[in-house]
Formats: sequence, structure tokens, C-alpha cells
Amino acid sequence: MSTTPSLAKPAAPADAPPPGRRPPRHRVRTRVRHVALPLGSLLLFLVLWQALAASHTWSETLVPPPAKVWDAFVDVSTTHDGVRGYNGTTLIEHLGISLRRIAFGAGLGIAAGVVFGLLMGTVGWLRSLFEPWITFLRTLPPLAYFSLLIIWLGIDEEPKVTLLAVAAFPPVAVSTTTAVAAVPKSLVEAARALGASRWDTVRDVVVPSALPETLTGIRLAVGVAYSSLVAAELVNGLPGIGGMVKDAANYNNTPVVLVGIIAIGVSGLVIDGLLLRLERVAVPWRGRT
Amino acid sequence: MSSSEVTEAAGATAEVDTSAAGSVRIEHVTHRYGRGGEEFTAVGPVDLSVPAGEFLVLVGASGCGKSTLLRLIAGFERPTRGAVRVSGAEPRPGEAAGVVFQTPRLFPWRTVRGNIDLALRYAGVSRAQWPGRRAQLLARVGLEGTERRRVWEISGGQQQRVAIARALAAENPLLLLDEPFAALDALTRERLQEDVRRVTRRTGRTAVFVTHSADEAVFLGSRIVVLTKSPGTVALDLPIPLPRDDVDAEELRGSREFAELRAQVSHAVKAAAAA
Ligand SMILES: Nc1ncnc2c1ncn2[C@@H]1O[C@H](COP(=O)(O)OP(=O)(O)OP(=O)(O)O)[C@@H](O)[C@H]1O
Ligand SMILES: [Mg+2]
Repeated sequence: MSTTPSLAKPAAPADAPPPGRRPPRHRVRTRVRHVALPLGSLLLFLVLWQALAASHTWSETLVPPPAKVWDAFVDVSTTHDGVRGYNGTTLIEHLGISLRRIAFGAGLGIAAGVVFGLLMGTVGWLRSLFEPWITFLRTLPPLAYFSLLIIWLGIDEEPKVTLLAVAAFPPVAVSTTTAVAAVPKSLVEAARALGASRWDTVRDVVVPSALPETLTGIRLAVGVAYSSLVAAELVNGLPGIGGMVKDAANYNNTPVVLVGIIAIGVSGLVIDGLLLRLERVAVPWRGRT
Repeated sequence: MSSSEVTEAAGATAEVDTSAAGSVRIEHVTHRYGRGGEEFTAVGPVDLSVPAGEFLVLVGASGCGKSTLLRLIAGFERPTRGAVRVSGAEPRPGEAAGVVFQTPRLFPWRTVRGNIDLALRYAGVSRAQWPGRRAQLLARVGLEGTERRRVWEISGGQQQRVAIARALAAENPLLLLDEPFAALDALTRERLQEDVRRVTRRTGRTAVFVTHSADEAVFLGSRIVVLTKSPGTVALDLPIPLPRDDVDAEELRGSREFAELRAQVSHAVKAAAAA
């Protein structure tokens, strides 16, 4: 059901079935397009990969065959020969630990971003004061300040969570600032004409009208935090999915590296999908102000 | 219905009580937009005294400053010169008057019900009374059964009626309406005109209503003020001696007095615009 897209209403043929039910042939065709096409491309990719690996153009360390990666996936997901997962932790646990870091880090960054955005969007001089700094921060690759965070905060959880927070902060701050500054003056006036106080106006007009943009910023922020994950777990990242990738890379364990990368990518896709759905449910008024 | 039914202002009263709830006093008001070399005089000088209970209609060419005058009365602007008094005090938004803007300005993140409830909350109505008051307001504008609709799902006329209901929530003794029906079809417009006429008459509120239509002005107004072209000043101040009580709208519109007044206003508007 989730794969059925909201297609632009097809011109109804003369013998169209009653509205509400899409013609079955059409429905099948869209189902095919939205399920079979991605699956087909995945299959093709696997075949090409297998062919490439089998041709031995590169050594197995560089391009392991899909089966090896699958074996690695099973290995790190289960207990085998008395060894639990990778380095004593299963794949799902690595992922869980990383997701918790992201939740904490990005959560902090997002909260700070919303607060700064609200302040900067409403108070002009605060915006002038902070905007250059935020832009500066945004252009820095997370790795650039990671070393600094290690020096300041050690090698435990603090630098990792801080890195993710710092990475997630700018997109939310920027999108919220823009959205708050662009709140329709007409609606603010309407609220004031009804007797709203300044605080009422912020809560009932500014926040909801900025929410769609802020949610887009949050989605961006989670994406940025996600792509900073491996960086955040470069030092003392085990357990953690990024730490696992880094550690496996140290031993030229390409299959596990690939398993880690795929796990990060797939979980990222799932989370982005969830956020997208949240956006649709939470702000049905998007684009209607 | 308003608990404090204000009796209709008798036009014969010699002294106008300018501190009565809902009364408006505009004293030598001039309003300029911009500053320095970019200054632009939008209205003035204007002197107007609107006693409580009157239905004043402002008519005038586009850009003559009608909206500006309403914004001054609502307290959104302060006059460059002169003074505005509403119920005897300097107007402040949310206190001075209920406002219906030219566009509905509903909050799209709230349903019809949510929009009304917000107005009730701002008006200081206790939560327990919301359902009753909400139903009453929606019934008054003929929108029963739309409570759960999203505001963008309902028609433009329905949106404007929600805006009217919302503006009525606080029961301000003064109601300001800026071309509220301009974008509606003739049928809906006539229905809403009758609604507004009935509501203000029943609750005894003062109203200042802006329109371009002489027909609408004569139908609604107990008094019509025609403004000159920019900057707006009073060109004609005309009392409308038509019956204000429950009358058949069709009959009223079809009457000879109505036609004569409409012609008079129409003529005055053209003359003021040409002057
Ligand atoms: N915020 C503003 N800044 C500068 N000039 C303005 C502003 N608002 C209105 N004006 C100018 O003041 C004049 C009066 O505007 P106003 O909106 O009061 O006219 P109006 O009589 O309501 O016109 P209409 O019938 O077209 O709505 C216009 O010439 C307009 O250009
Ligand atoms: Mg106007």
C-alpha cells in the first residue's frame, strides 16, 4: 500500500469503473513500476558485481564477491565458533548503538537549531550576530573539528555526540530562521486582531507556520548526522557501526566494510522514509499559507 | 448573542457619547506612509464620529485610503497627525475591535473548529464554554457541520464566513470589515450581506464596513461616507433612512427609496473619484 503512489489522476476512459477504484490494469502497471523496477535494478547490480568479482580483474580483497559479503553479514549478525558478531557485538547491536548516538547528537543539534532559528528569525540583530558563525560551521566538514573535539572532550561518548550535534545544528537553524522570518504578516495581524498576546502569536502562528520548513531542515540534519557517523566513530568507535567499518578497514576486511556500509545506507533510507512520512502527516497544510 | 445588547443609536440624539463602548472618533486624522522623500499621504485630514450601534459604510475609489482608515481604527497604525479614539481610548489591536480582513486570513494548520476555538481562547472565554459558543457562532454564519473540515477544503465563501464567525467570537462592541465579500459570487455575497446585517442588528454592534459597491453600501449602511480620491477626505456623509429591523431583503432591494439612494451614492462616488 505504501508503494502505491499518488499518481496524477489518469484521464478516465469511457468505460471507467466508478471513481475511487483505480482501473485494475493501471494499478498493476504502477505496482510493477514501483516494486519491480527497483528490485530489477538491484538484481542487475548483483549480477554485474558477481561477474566483476568472477573475472578476477581485481583481487578479492578489493572486490569480494556478493556471496562473501553475505557470509560476512551472517557472521556479524550471529554467534559462530563462540565469537559473537563482530568484536563481541552483533551487527544489529552496532547499529543500535550508533542510532542511539545519532538520536542523542542530532536531537541536541536539532533542539538547539530550533531555538536559535526562532530567536534569529524574530530578532533581527541576533540573526546578524549568529548567521555568519552558523554559515562558517556549516561549510566545515565534520572531520575538521573532530580532532578538536577529541582534544577537548576525550575519546568517549562526548566527542561523538557533540560532533553529530554540531553537524545537525546548522541545517535546522538556517531553515527555521528563514521560515520564521517569512511568517505571513497577514496571519500574525489576524491573530493580534483576535486578541493574541506576543507569546500567543509565537506559539499559534509563528511555530506552526515555520514547522514545514523546520521539518525539512530536520530531515536534512539527520542526513548530515548520518553521513558524519563514520567520522564520529573514527576514534574509539567500537561498538558502533561506523567503528566497525573503520576497524574492519584496518584489517582489510572488505566484506565487513561493505556490510557496514550497506547497513548504514539501508537504515538511513528507512529513517529518511519515516521522516518523510512524519512530515506528510504532521504538516498537511504545507504550501497552503 | 452578546450579553450586553446595545440599543440602536438613535440618530436623533443630539450629543454623541464618544466614550460609549463601540463608538469611534476620528479627529483631524492624517496618515502618511514612508518617511523622508518617500512620504505618501494616504488619508486625511478626516473628521468622523461614529456613535455606538451605527453601521457605517465607507465607499471610495481604489487607493483612497479606506483600508488605511480601518487599520487606524483597529490600532494597527498610529495616525501621523490627529487622534483616533475607540470606546473613548486609543485603539490597540485585539482590544479595540473585531476585524474581518479583505482575505479570510484563516490559520491553515487548524480546522474550522480550531480557528474558532483559538479566537474564543484569545477572547478569554473559559474552555468549558467553547462547545456551546462555537456552535452558536457557526450557526450564526450558517456553517453548522463544517467544524472538522480543513480550512482549505471549504469554499472561499465559507472561509470568509469562518473569518466573520472568528471576528465575532470576542464580542467586541465594534466590528471592522474590509471589503469582506469582494471576491464572492453575487448569490453568496447577498446571503452574507443579509447575515452581517442580521448579526450586527441583533447584537447592536457598531460596524465600519468598506466596500466598492453602492448597492452593498445602501443595503447594509445606516450611514454612508464617501471618500475623495487619494488622500481620502470625507466627500459625502449620508444617513440612510431605510428600515433597519427585520425586513424582507428582496423587498428592500426592490424598493424605490433603495434605488434612489443607490443612484445617489453611485453618483457621489464617481464625482469624488473625478474631483
Ligand atoms: N504599507 C504601506 N506603505 C506605503 N504605502 C501604502 C501602504 N499601504 C497603503 N499604501 C498606500 O496608501 C494608499 C491608500 O491605501 P489603502 O490600502 O488604504 O487604499 P484603499 O482605499 O483600501 O484601496 P482599495 O480599495 O484598492 O483596497 C494607497 O495609495 C497605497 O498605495
Ligand atoms: Mg483596501
